[in-house]
Amino acid sequence: MISKNARFVAAAATGALAVLAVTACAPGGGNAAPSSGPTKVSDDVAAAGDVTLKLSDFWGSAEQDWIVSLIDQFEKKYPNVTIKRTQEDWGQLTSTLNLQMQDDGGPDIASANNGWSSLGTLAKGHLVLNLDAYADLYGWNEKVPTTIARQNKFTTDFKTIGEGSWFATPQARASLIGVYYNADVLKKLDITVPKTLADLEKAAAAVKAAGQVPFSYSGVDGNTAALLGLQALYGSEKDINDFVYGSRDVTAQDTGLTKAATTLQKWKSNGWLTPNFEGIDYQTSLADYLDGKGVFRFDYTGSLGLKGDQLNQFGYIQLPQASGDKTVGVGAAPGAMVISAKCKHPDVAAAFLNFLMSKQSSQTAADLGLVPALNDVATPDKLSQRGEAAATAKLDTDDGYVPYFDWSSPTMLDVLSQNTQLLLAGKTTPADFSKAVDADRTAFLAG
Amino acid sequence: MSIAHTGAAVTPETGDGGSATEAIVVRRRRGRTSHARRRARTIGLLFAAPGLLIYGGVVLWPLVQSLQYSFYKWDGISASTWVGFQNYLNFFTDPVLRSTLGNVLVLIVFFAVLPIALGLLSAALITSGKRPGMAVYRWIFFLPQVLTSVVIALLFKRMYAPEGPINEALRAIGLGALAKNWLGDFTWALPAVGLIGTWVTFGFCMVLFIAGASSIPPELYEAARMDGAGPVREFFSVTLPGLRGQIAVALTLTITAALRAFDLIWITTRGGPGTSTLTPAVALYKAAFVNPDVGQAAAIGVVMAILCLIIAVVITRVSERE
Repeated sequence: MISKNARFVAAAATGALAVLAVTACAPGGGNAAPSSGPTKVSDDVAAAGDVTLKLSDFWGSAEQDWIVSLIDQFEKKYPNVTIKRTQEDWGQLTSTLNLQMQDDGGPDIASANNGWSSLGTLAKGHLVLNLDAYADLYGWNEKVPTTIARQNKFTTDFKTIGEGSWFATPQARASLIGVYYNADVLKKLDITVPKTLADLEKAAAAVKAAGQVPFSYSGVDGNTAALLGLQALYGSEKDINDFVYGSRDVTAQDTGLTKAATTLQKWKSNGWLTPNFEGIDYQTSLADYLDGKGVFRFDYTGSLGLKGDQLNQFGYIQLPQASGDKTVGVGAAPGAMVISAKCKHPDVAAAFLNFLMSKQSSQTAADLGLVPALNDVATPDKLSQRGEAAATAKLDTDDGYVPYFDWSSPTMLDVLSQNTQLLLAGKTTPADFSKAVDADRTAFLAG
Repeated sequence: MSIAHTGAAVTPETGDGGSATEAIVVRRRRGRTSHARRRARTIGLLFAAPGLLIYGGVVLWPLVQSLQYSFYKWDGISASTWVGFQNYLNFFTDPVLRSTLGNVLVLIVFFAVLPIALGLLSAALITSGKRPGMAVYRWIFFLPQVLTSVVIALLFKRMYAPEGPINEALRAIGLGALAKNWLGDFTWALPAVGLIGTWVTFGFCMVLFIAGASSIPPELYEAARMDGAGPVREFFSVTLPGLRGQIAVALTLTITAALRAFDLIWITTRGGPGTSTLTPAVALYKAAFVNPDVGQAAAIGVVMAILCLIIAVVITRVSERE
């Protein structure tokens, strides 16, 4: 019985190895398309005839209304074009897009996540088009602030992110990290809205003295918004961008990470963060914040899902740097729009991508309560939206966007969230935190 | 799976040590029926073919592919590089990946050892005498088995919250000092998640053991009682040996459940705080779908599959030994 089993196992193993030997090919590398992209391009959408494009994106709620409305507007402008949209949730789309784009029936246009793990992998695998020709055609290099444009670029040897060719486009709206405040509570406590980091800390102390929670914070699912928001107040725009885009001359310490970690740790020991935040998850803490628990909160714009009266109850500030008066802020377009290498009508697809960067797109975003960028448009007169629009306007002029820090390596988000948890539990120091971040990026750059 | 294997393995065989006459008898019998048998076998194979094909396509072939991937560094799309056993070495040398194995050992205590001990105890109590409402208990304890793990994880996430029922209960009985951020505490998060596993698998073990105990001949109990055995002695001398098969099944299923633990952890802690609740399955998921390192993910998968197989084989062998 044993020998029979053993023989079977041996036979199976030999069979498997034989199959491997016969196929003899390493996995991957099947897409050897040129990476220079289309050369003959046109912006004449009407001349393309009847075209149907498939779009996959990860936008829900107000963002969904925005994209649906833009599809509508585009189809009205060009009746020969139909765009079929599929919506998937963010995690679902980013984890399967690599596979979807390899499929012949996959989407023509999709929203990818910037950085190496999603957009970088797609570009490297020649699954998405090099958009340089369209950038020239539509003048994206002039229109888009450099700090936003870089987020969509890779060199064609795919060793460097942040320079080289366009492989994706931003949209005329942005997602930022900044500070929200509860205006009702500030008024009640007679505290003025802070304009600088020093103001913010003074206000936090006053809030604490009044017996309230200064900063709404959660720890269970690894919160990085506060840390990255603080980092942008300490590090220079150039250093943070260079670090994320793989320059070996910059260390995590140079990007202000150590200082940001020190500040966050200080806030914790001052008792300024939500009590028991270690056991509270993001959704719960967000609901508590909207319910009036906690005065300030670092978060991504759009995450709060403010509506109705809340739009005037909560305000948004993009603090200037701790020293100097420049404003640097973590911000990016809420997705990186790519065109599939298999797309049969890249001209039409590119025209749609360009439309997503247009003034109409900004205006639609603003009307829906989203944060417009790239274009100066009228925003509804609501407290939080005024703050957010002022932030992108300032960042557009200062060219002060820095990318999400976790784009610097595929594992960086884990490193950041794990070390933030360790830091606030007193199990690592700000200096060691920065070392761990350096080690992770060095390992990635070494390939 | 391994259980079915042992069952099927008891096929008659002409051992080489058999006497000549035996062999002749067997051969003659074979000769007489060989045609019919072969036909039956072909028809059997035909019936099994669709299943086998599907099994081969969705289980065996991906298994072979995973094995192949595990020797490459590959992001899932672009060209891959052959790295030999590097991915396997990483699993055992990378401090974070290695720590997942330690975490799994702790989970085995909570997913396997504890539920089986509790299951045996409650089975002994329930079978020791008929009491009213026993079916209700059985029903209640088995309930977690029919709940979706996502529902269970969300329920426990609520219960473990800083202001959740567990901490509130502790405070209500004056044990407020013991209240903790269960899922956010570096020491307590893993046991807290483990206890969810205990709650889930306990009822299953108990029902299994009750069913097993009811098939132990009552004469054995009578004999034990005549020999003057008390309930404790009776349990160790009659019930426990009688349940050996069931314990083997329970051990195999619960230990592999611990090794595969993913959903409960992903929903409650995502492996945190730090990496204190990271399991190989969560690390595998991250490697495969979040930070595209398909080779590493495949290597973790292959190691876990081999571990599961070894554990299953060892358990069946030990439980069959007289």
